[in-house]
Amino acid sequence: MASTAATRTASGAVKVVKPIFSRDINEAKRRVRELYRAWYREVPNTVTLYQLDISTSQGREKVREMFNKNKHITDPRVIDMLVIKGKMELEETIHVWKQKTHVMRYFHESETPRPTDFLSKFYQGHDP
Amino acid sequence: MAASLVRLVRGGVNRTLNLSRSTALIQKRLETTTTETKPTVRPKDAVTHNQLSAFGEYVAEILPKYVQQVQVTCFNELEIMIHPDGIVPVLTFLRDHTNAQFRNMSDLTAVDIPTRPNRFEIVYNLLSLSFNSRIRVKTYTDELTPVDSSVPVHKAANWYEREVWDMYGVFFANHPDLRRILTDYGFEGHPFRKDFPLSGYVELRYDDELKRVVAEPLELAQEFRKFDLNSPWETFPAYRQPQDAPKLEAGDKPAAQ
Amino acid sequence: MLRLPAVSRAIAGVAHSKTCLAPSNNFRTSVRASSNMVEVFVDGKPVMVEPGTTVLQACEKVGVQIPRFCFHERLSVAGNCRMCLVEIERAPKPVAACAMPVMKGWNILTNSEKTRKAREGVMEFLLANHPLDCPICDQGGECDLQDQSMMFGADRSRFTEGKRAVEDKNIGPLIKTIMTRCIQCTRCVRFASEIAGVEDLGTTGRGNSMQIGTYVEKMFMSELSGNVIDVCPVGALTSKPYAFTARPWETRKTESIDVMDAVGSNIVVSTRGGEVMRVMPRLNEEVNEEWISDKTRFSYDGLKRQRLTQPMVKDASGQLVTTSWEDVLTRVAGVLQSVQGNEVAAIAGGMVDAEALVALKDLLNRLDSDNLCTEEVFPMAGAGTDMRSNYLLNSRIAGIEECDVLLLIGTNPRYEAPLFNARIRKSWLHNELQVALVGHEVDLSYSYNHLGDSTQVLKDIAAGTHPFCEVLAQAKRPVVVVGSTTLQRADGAAILNAVSTIAQNARASSGVEEGWKVLNVLHRVASQVAALDLGYKPGVEAIRNAPPKVLFLLGADGGCITRQDLPKDSFIIYQGHHGDVGAPMADIILPGAAYTEKNGTYVNTEGRAQQTRVAVTAPGMAREDWRIIRAVSELAGVTLPYDSVAEVRDRLAEVAPNLVRYDDVEQANYFKQANELAQTVDQTLLAEPLIPPQVSVKDFYMTDPISRASQTMAKCVKAVTEGADAIEEPAIC
Repeated sequence: MASTAATRTASGAVKVVKPIFSRDINEAKRRVRELYRAWYREVPNTVTLYQLDISTSQGREKVREMFNKNKHITDPRVIDMLVIKGKMELEETIHVWKQKTHVMRYFHESETPRPTDFLSKFYQGHDP
Repeated sequence: MAASLVRLVRGGVNRTLNLSRSTALIQKRLETTTTETKPTVRPKDAVTHNQLSAFGEYVAEILPKYVQQVQVTCFNELEIMIHPDGIVPVLTFLRDHTNAQFRNMSDLTAVDIPTRPNRFEIVYNLLSLSFNSRIRVKTYTDELTPVDSSVPVHKAANWYEREVWDMYGVFFANHPDLRRILTDYGFEGHPFRKDFPLSGYVELRYDDELKRVVAEPLELAQEFRKFDLNSPWETFPAYRQPQDAPKLEAGDKPAAQ
Repeated sequence: MLRLPAVSRAIAGVAHSKTCLAPSNNFRTSVRASSNMVEVFVDGKPVMVEPGTTVLQACEKVGVQIPRFCFHERLSVAGNCRMCLVEIERAPKPVAACAMPVMKGWNILTNSEKTRKAREGVMEFLLANHPLDCPICDQGGECDLQDQSMMFGADRSRFTEGKRAVEDKNIGPLIKTIMTRCIQCTRCVRFASEIAGVEDLGTTGRGNSMQIGTYVEKMFMSELSGNVIDVCPVGALTSKPYAFTARPWETRKTESIDVMDAVGSNIVVSTRGGEVMRVMPRLNEEVNEEWISDKTRFSYDGLKRQRLTQPMVKDASGQLVTTSWEDVLTRVAGVLQSVQGNEVAAIAGGMVDAEALVALKDLLNRLDSDNLCTEEVFPMAGAGTDMRSNYLLNSRIAGIEECDVLLLIGTNPRYEAPLFNARIRKSWLHNELQVALVGHEVDLSYSYNHLGDSTQVLKDIAAGTHPFCEVLAQAKRPVVVVGSTTLQRADGAAILNAVSTIAQNARASSGVEEGWKVLNVLHRVASQVAALDLGYKPGVEAIRNAPPKVLFLLGADGGCITRQDLPKDSFIIYQGHHGDVGAPMADIILPGAAYTEKNGTYVNTEGRAQQTRVAVTAPGMAREDWRIIRAVSELAGVTLPYDSVAEVRDRLAEVAPNLVRYDDVEQANYFKQANELAQTVDQTLLAEPLIPPQVSVKDFYMTDPISRASQTMAKCVKAVTEGADAIEEPAIC
């Protein structure tokens, strides 16, 4: 009862939220680093297990790129949520629940890059 | 409790009526062709309604900290709205209390209502075999607030919560094995959220050169069908739907009583 | 602890307190009541209205809508459907809200038991004879009867008798009649006689055998006939070309602008699956109110036929063969680079948007050429197009409602700008507007004073010797409208001078305030004002005199220049959306987008900038026009500095800022100076009579590439020349 009342009074100034795991940004960052380390170690195994046509360094480059994609996020809860999902993916990869196609999906091999300059956009289609 | 009504007489009554049924039917048919005065409204079952509301009040009085609202729907279903902190205590109470005995979790799901500040409504449907009665417990959360897992109370909740996690992205704290259950590995997004497009984001095909299935951004070859069902007369202010009732904080009692 | 009883108690409490509050409210507001306003109450809410306001308007003022069928804001009140019955407190009977003026202190109950019962009763009578064929009815989903019976009707019927059936009428190739569905609201009859000015429709018979029809079998001969489809509250009058093609809820609506004439009617384009299903009017009080002409509404099937969908190049044998964009653009760029700047010229047609016009002008200017013309001619002698007031409809379309004397010169507004004509008729009907015409005698759907068709009449009025000058002299707010086709004659400059003198004299004699414009030019094509604003030269005379080596036709389908006018080795590039007049003589065809397929800016004859929006994507490999020119410019080595529509519009704003001030009319007021400049030109008028190109209704339907490709429009021409029976219609429904 008291805690809810406190929540209510506090909500006037700053909204107090229930953390997922991390109490502050540093803890969240630590979890991210742990996850990154785990992925980093897993890449060589993945390449051999799935018989991928890429080198370990290419795989690690991709992992780095995926982490960098979300580097602008500062809310610890959002970071936690992404870490949870990242762990889930890692688990699926380690246990070989995934197949080659799922792992290679990170690399977007079959997609042709969208044109950026006016003429190639013009030749390609109606969309601006 | 409500469900302890025993219908002993039913079989006997039916048998005695069987003989006169044919004549009665003919009469009935004649009646319907001549006059039809009864409105097509669902008949009220006041007895069940009162029993359910009495039990609802009883629960609310015992658990005033968590129960925010109790209501009986028009189809005589008892619904208890609780604060998300109270999931484990309320479910435990309903499972173990002598007068409740809701030992069976028949369903657990979520509803996405993006206009609300807490957009997800988590719904627990419980069944009491001892009293042949059902109850619905509802709570709420948003995308980032974890909800306590109900697996310690009901084992059946395990896969249901995995489904809600997969389809809505609601995180259940202390779940023993929270991972995807329905979507494909590598699938991104939560498909039952209202802001997830009906068509999805990617499409799959088999690529002959790569010799495997590839996922590519969706390109609709045909126009996506979208219906515009507004009638100009429905904008009449007098015929609009009434507003939703406001939500109450935990511990607050509704104004009545 | 239960919610339901608590809530219901709370509601009851509120309701109770409201009834307590109501009398005190009434007391307070009645004190404030001013002398000439009447106070009435709608469901207890007080509202001040002018005396003579109807009950329905008073209710609308407080936001309460009353169901209605026969009542329409723009038509006279008939009061025959009885759907708008409402209860007045302490009145013995419910009253028809649309026809009853309010009295002081009335309390109108719009949702009382008696009102509801009255509505249910009326609805039951209406449905007694209305067929239940909604599933096969084209009005289904947008039917007033359907919607209102769901909202206000009873949930069952007591009628077991058979329903009345009425024979369908054939009133032309545009409107399909299923007369059994008619509820005799007479909206169509009132529309025909009041707005369209054609006394073709009427009622025959009484009571149960009352019918709407033409009495004798004939066509509903009006250029605004399509509007009865919108006016009809049920499915009795529906669109014949649209029959059984789409449902209103599955179509997408895009708000756009019509380009079939220079009025720029506001329209809604309904599309489904990348296909235009129909065109409907959009409300704009300043331009088209809520009507559109038949050409606007029904020529959309021309957008699917005769289209240029692939770039084409003329091969060695003189045949046009399809090719790719890469190939055709390189060829065009090569041709443009191989010639001197001033050997390139361009002609813009009547349906080109301002974005394409400015892009083409920029391209040619970068190639050191300034030979840009429009197909439509305008006299350049004197002030010419330098003074914007010289070529606009300065009084605006809505301004016609304020004037009291109108002089039309060499124009037939009924077919050149049907909605402008509808405005004149409205003013003639309600404001006693006096109309006079110099030019060929035509049927304008209202009576007018025909002054003759020779140019001598113009001279006489300008000199002040004509009897009509007295009428003009007594006018409070005179308006003179000259058709743009009249100015295209060889003596156009002299005519413009005479007209502007008449206008100046009328202005001086009427003593009207400075802001009032007298001189007006009524254009025929949608692109003309924008082209003149951007500095295009009107007319192709310059090109005929100095034939260029490369000619760029931008949607030019008027046929004003042919192969014979040019030297043998000249190279013609055609860019446009229809294979009409311009395309066959071209060496290279660049497929462009029609008005439903691009975001384009059009300026109507008033000078009002409006924009069309993309409703469907252009067919095949066709592209938006300014994009094609932009791509050509890049390959020709003179890249234009814009990549998006927004950037093109920034450029438009640099050249002519009024073109991007949408829905705004840029004023122009240099009549006196223009008149003085016009005195310097040759004043001899030719003796030929003033005959506008569109004299009778058969000239109305096919005037541009889209309507020439339309089968519906072709059927209309056939029907008006040979009678409605000439059109073979499959027996449907």
